[in-house]
Amino acid sequence: MLKRLRSLLRALQSRRDFEQGMSEELESHIEQYAQDLTRAGVPPQEAMRRARMEFGGLNGVQEECRAARWLHPFDELVRQTRHAARLLRKSPGFTITALLTLAVCLGANLTIFAVIDSVLLRPLPFPDAGRLVTMFNSYPKAGVERDGSSITNYYERRARIPAFSSLSLYRYGKVIAGETGSTERQQIMRVSPEFFSTLGIGPVVGRGFTEEETSVGADRVVILTDTYWKQHFNRGYNQVIGKKLRLDGVPYTVIGILPPGFRFLSSKAQLYLPFSSRPEERGPREMHSGGNSKQLIARLRPGATLSQAQTQIDAQNNLLERDDPQAKMMADAGFRTVVKPLHADYVASVRPVLLLLQAGALILLLIAAVNLANLLLIRINGRSKEIAVRQALGASRLQVLSETIVETTVLTLAGGFLGLIAGAAGIRALTIFGADRLPQGSQIAFDGRLALVAFLGAVVLGIALALPIAWFALRTEPANAIQSQARGGTASHAMQSLRHAFVVAQIALSFVLLSGTGLLALSLKHAMSVSPGFRADHVLTGQISLPGGTYRDWPSRLAFNAELLKEIGRQPGVSAVGLVNNLPLSGNNGKSAATVKGHVLRPGESARGHYAYGVDGDYFAAMGIALREGRFLTADDSRRGNRVCVVDEDFARYYWPHGDALGQRLFEGSGEASDAQAFTVVGVVGNVKQAALTDDAAQGAVYYPYALRTDDNLSVVVRAIRSPESLGLTLQRAVRQIDPQVPVNDIRSMDALVDESLAAQRSPALLTAVFSAIALLLTSIGTYGVLGYAVALRRGEIGIRMALGAQPRKIREQFLALALRLIIFGAMLGIFGAWLTGQAMRSLLFHVPPVDPPVLAWSAGCMAFVSLLACLLPSRRAARISPMETLRSLG
Amino acid sequence: MNKNADLLPGTLDMLILKAVSLKPLHGYGVLLRIRQISGEALEIPQGSLYPALYRLEHQGLIAGEWGQSENNRRAKYYTLTATGRRRLREETAGWNRLAAAIASALNTTPEEI
Repeated sequence: MLKRLRSLLRALQSRRDFEQGMSEELESHIEQYAQDLTRAGVPPQEAMRRARMEFGGLNGVQEECRAARWLHPFDELVRQTRHAARLLRKSPGFTITALLTLAVCLGANLTIFAVIDSVLLRPLPFPDAGRLVTMFNSYPKAGVERDGSSITNYYERRARIPAFSSLSLYRYGKVIAGETGSTERQQIMRVSPEFFSTLGIGPVVGRGFTEEETSVGADRVVILTDTYWKQHFNRGYNQVIGKKLRLDGVPYTVIGILPPGFRFLSSKAQLYLPFSSRPEERGPREMHSGGNSKQLIARLRPGATLSQAQTQIDAQNNLLERDDPQAKMMADAGFRTVVKPLHADYVASVRPVLLLLQAGALILLLIAAVNLANLLLIRINGRSKEIAVRQALGASRLQVLSETIVETTVLTLAGGFLGLIAGAAGIRALTIFGADRLPQGSQIAFDGRLALVAFLGAVVLGIALALPIAWFALRTEPANAIQSQARGGTASHAMQSLRHAFVVAQIALSFVLLSGTGLLALSLKHAMSVSPGFRADHVLTGQISLPGGTYRDWPSRLAFNAELLKEIGRQPGVSAVGLVNNLPLSGNNGKSAATVKGHVLRPGESARGHYAYGVDGDYFAAMGIALREGRFLTADDSRRGNRVCVVDEDFARYYWPHGDALGQRLFEGSGEASDAQAFTVVGVVGNVKQAALTDDAAQGAVYYPYALRTDDNLSVVVRAIRSPESLGLTLQRAVRQIDPQVPVNDIRSMDALVDESLAAQRSPALLTAVFSAIALLLTSIGTYGVLGYAVALRRGEIGIRMALGAQPRKIREQFLALALRLIIFGAMLGIFGAWLTGQAMRSLLFHVPPVDPPVLAWSAGCMAFVSLLACLLPSRRAARISPMETLRSLG
Repeated sequence: MNKNADLLPGTLDMLILKAVSLKPLHGYGVLLRIRQISGEALEIPQGSLYPALYRLEHQGLIAGEWGQSENNRRAKYYTLTATGRRRLREETAGWNRLAAAIASALNTTPEEI
């Protein structure tokens, strides 16, 4: 088989050579035979004639030779393609409409598919990435679904879970890198020694981390990414190994360089440091101090399954419960460790949106296909006579079928090519919708896979489009077709029904898209109208990184804070300035436990996780957070280390439903401690949306003085009198004045942060709106085409009726009634589809029911308006048919 | 009776393979060679020779290559490939079995039943 294909390919490749060689071979045969005959005494002229005669028909032999090489079908294909191209060129209006439709709809599909391909379908860029898993601790009853993993988890599980061949712990972080005077903030990852072997990609030169380097003090080693090496070291690989790099003011030894393109998930880390810890951090007491910053990944052993790993971890957790001092509390909190495939977990949040968008694009393509099928049906009707004649002259059914398929496929392939161009443009435009911020979003690219999908899609579409047409062409008896055409009679009833069914389908599908868009738009509107709990206008924020070397102890950090607050507060145009460790909507959604003194857990209730903030200066005034009771925390509280705190309304309502929050006492962490450790509640403030505007969970929040809530993160929040952006430079200058080595990053207005946080709602709503607009346009074209054709077909009938005295109004109404019937059928089907879609979209909706009557009514209205508009023109044309002209033409 | 025997269906391919196995040949040469080795008994219809050659080449049993003919003209020479050689062996064996069986059947006398 393979040999035959190769031989066929060779023949196709050098078709001209093949033909030439064949002629030459056959001719020389005849000549040689003729020579032999001459030698035997036959006169030369006679010899040539006899040679030719005995050889038989040269053309026939050549055909047989071509057939022996399987060239026949290809010759036929080329012929049919030429024929199809000629036919398409003859009707430019139809061809251009069809090509544009295909280009837009295939382009939309390819664009979305490119995203799905790189985000959902392609494995992560590690060898055998399907075996990579992640796991996290979950305390659902404490309101903490996901809490990372602890150092203890790592040391307990390492080499003790047989399903894993390798297990590794990592956390993200930041350092100030470089020599004094030329420092910059760098994202880093701290990783356990197995990290690179778990992923399957390690340093190309040098080595990975060793076990010794996981002890604090012995961890001054660093592995560079290729990018960092290129940007910061102007010398060869091996000369860099062993060099010192100053991080947070401390010299680190470079021990390895990672291969180009190495990137772990969305991490922007350029430097990898060992994950070091102290022995006390590895004990059972710390088993549950995960926090979202520390994460575990593992590689499944060949043959091991996810559920085996899950079972083994569960068993180990049960076993460890015996030594766990907090076992009872954790069991109450519903503690469990969940193992998930790394890739699926990484893309889980965007998966539904992407699938929804692809479904939307596919519906759009379906509308386009139905549209084209209808236009093609109208077109084929005009050619049924031609087909009938050819069938009568001996064209086989197979030939008619293959010709139809070739014609539609030529069309869809051309459309697919244009669609590829549109898709390439679409992929570029995707950044507008924030696609590059998706997991693996930077990998989205136009490539061969996409071209292949476009090609296959176009071929499938071409064949699908050909089927109804071929069916009609073959089902009509040639004799009938010739006669009916000759009499100029009406088209077959079935064909008309099919056309109408197509219009109904189009209307229904557009309806589904419209209502889906409506639901998303309404969700966006609701999300936008949610109060974030702070006044976002006139607020500028920036992240400050204090180098660990200079600011190792808390007093020095607090001194810096005080200086900073004073310096910025002095600037003109600043009305309030505060500091916080955890900015709302910044993506940091970690929760930590707080224990209210005297709160007795009800059966089944557990200690809860809350958002915890450390604030300094006039944070609440700067953010514009409302005070409900008592007072705000002040810079003074932080300075003096007052053990006071402020809670939000959700927190107050949960623990003190009777409204006596002020004066109550609570502890940081889980479990009560000595009274000296307690914080007194001095105020209650309004709720703030920390994770997202659409996050409805009443998580509760506690604000501590910054000095008592130790954290590496520091954001400055400035309320401006005029535009906040104008303060950006002021902010940087102020920080530089205090310490030129301290960088300020991510300077953004709070409005921008709010805006960005809505991207997950806005982008799908915008994209589906675009899809809907195209769908409406296509549907109106389709309706117009079919109605217009119906009018044209019945010209004669209408003319006669008008001649007999029918009112033009009546004629118009008749066609409008037909249109209305189609619209109503379509809308009815559409409502059913919209109901299904709404159910499927449930997880993406915000404060909108899956079936929303106003949205349905709006969609129906939109649909009816556009479709009726499309019907108006043909109906009026029908009413204007002149009886005299018609009768004359019927003559 | 005609001294030329009619070609049995299916035997043309076998004969071509055999002819080509002896020495690389061009199309006309194949014709002459078959006539020669069959003791002038087998005449191949000229029109069906080339489709058969092309088919065998397509199947990879023979390989065609352009070369110089004895009277200095460009000609396509066919040689037997390894697959072709195996096929020829099989067909020869098959043919011999068949011929022996038929001969034995035809030579049967009433006494032998």
